[in-house]
Amino acid sequence: MLSVKNLSEIQQMILVILGVLVFASTLFWIWKKIKPSPQVDELVTRTKSWWVMASIFTTAAVVHPAVSFIAFGLLSFAALRELSSISKNFRTEDRSVIFWAYLAIPVQYFFAYMGWFAPFVVFIPVFMFTWIPFVLVLKGHTQDIARSMSVIPTHLMLTVFSISHLAYLLSLPELKDFAAGGRGLLLFVVFLTEMNDVFQFTWGKLLGRHKIIEKISPNKTWEGFIGGLLSTVGAALLLRFLTPFNTIEALGAGLVIACMGFVGDIIVSAIKRDFGLKDTGTAIKGHGGILDRIDSLAISAPFFFYYVYLLHIAK
Amino acid sequence: MKHLLLILIYKGLMPLFLKLIGVKITPKKPLQPNAQYIIVANHNSHIDTMALMSSIPVKDLNRTHPVAAATYFGKNSWLAVLSKLFVNTILIKRSEEGGESTALDVLGKFLSKGHSLIIFPEGSRGEPEKMQAFRKGIGVLLQRNPHIPYIPVYIQGTGKILPKGERLIVPYDALVHFGQPTFCEAQTVEAIVAEVETAILRLKD
Repeated sequence: MLSVKNLSEIQQMILVILGVLVFASTLFWIWKKIKPSPQVDELVTRTKSWWVMASIFTTAAVVHPAVSFIAFGLLSFAALRELSSISKNFRTEDRSVIFWAYLAIPVQYFFAYMGWFAPFVVFIPVFMFTWIPFVLVLKGHTQDIARSMSVIPTHLMLTVFSISHLAYLLSLPELKDFAAGGRGLLLFVVFLTEMNDVFQFTWGKLLGRHKIIEKISPNKTWEGFIGGLLSTVGAALLLRFLTPFNTIEALGAGLVIACMGFVGDIIVSAIKRDFGLKDTGTAIKGHGGILDRIDSLAISAPFFFYYVYLLHIAK
Repeated sequence: MKHLLLILIYKGLMPLFLKLIGVKITPKKPLQPNAQYIIVANHNSHIDTMALMSSIPVKDLNRTHPVAAATYFGKNSWLAVLSKLFVNTILIKRSEEGGESTALDVLGKFLSKGHSLIIFPEGSRGEPEKMQAFRKGIGVLLQRNPHIPYIPVYIQGTGKILPKGERLIVPYDALVHFGQPTFCEAQTVEAIVAEVETAILRLKD
């Protein structure tokens, strides 16, 4: 007989994700049959994209680690491509310099794969942040050069440096008495960040009254944010078995993920508004572009990573 | 043998490469197999030809020819051979080089054999995201062959991936938007050219 106790933490987590998705899909399906409305349609398309997202991340978490690093590298690549395509901030002479930014992706993920911590941490913020302005200078056009010098590194930060921390979770050294390892941490942060978006959305729809920052994101309310935060902290406590955290640490992780997910969300929203776009692309149906899906992760992933690192690895 | 090579390139490597650098084709299968047509598109980059060839059904790859200027691709003989072998090109002389009538006769011969053509009526790639005036060759061809439909295609963004005069390919989200096969309604050469141009611009949004 198959019992839950015999399953590893990872398998349990995959069951949890599967359960949540089946529950959400059935709920919205019935809701749509009983009382159709455009809002339900929106939720239905959203669940479809969650299935896609969940399959990608689950596959990445269970197959050979090298495959996951390539998958995350491609995710960074697609996000960077999307961001530089919608950007209005480039000059024609920046083309070859943007090419350097793409080249940084395999290097950064190679460091993550090898588990070389120092190169991994300094490569983009120290080396690339110098190299990109340097090659821009070599081009010899100073008109608007300061803008390009800041835009290209920011794109690298949002799409490559951030997401590579998800991959590095898989290279963390083994911890004592903690079987789920990096894969558990990966599922934990991705699942909670996605759920936090959903919680904030739902609480906002149910109780939302007071807008937080109307000019950037009119749907964000204090009720949604706080409801989402409490739900995410609750979910973090439930999923503690995936992590080496004690109760207090799990609570803190929930707080970090909820707050930083929110920060990532509104940063990308503001960028989109600047470019006059609502969704950044059409890659995942109903979810706008790739960037729209990884916006919260782009900030929550590195913060969660260093939270784990400082608490459990760096000792 | 050549057909096999074309299949290997445009059904194997090229779609993967195009996907990676960000070229999207809509609709996903834009063309019916075993049909004859003249594909007419705006032109910003060599990527355009690659994307259009990748959209051709497997069976028809061998008998679909992008039309290119002999002065550019025939500059030296190995480039001409390569473009004929790997891109299935027909090289013609531009009108200003006095090649107009022979060029149209050559293309007419391919059409009467049942082959399809890919034509960029702007004549050259020009500046990214800017459409130049259409040349009238496309009008003459469609007037002489009223039984062959044209397919308008609007291409956007490829000039950012590989602009004229550059060698470095940089990823960028580009879109190749196919229209429906259309038999032209206009009668005169100029009117046909204008009709085709409008059909392409209509796909822009």
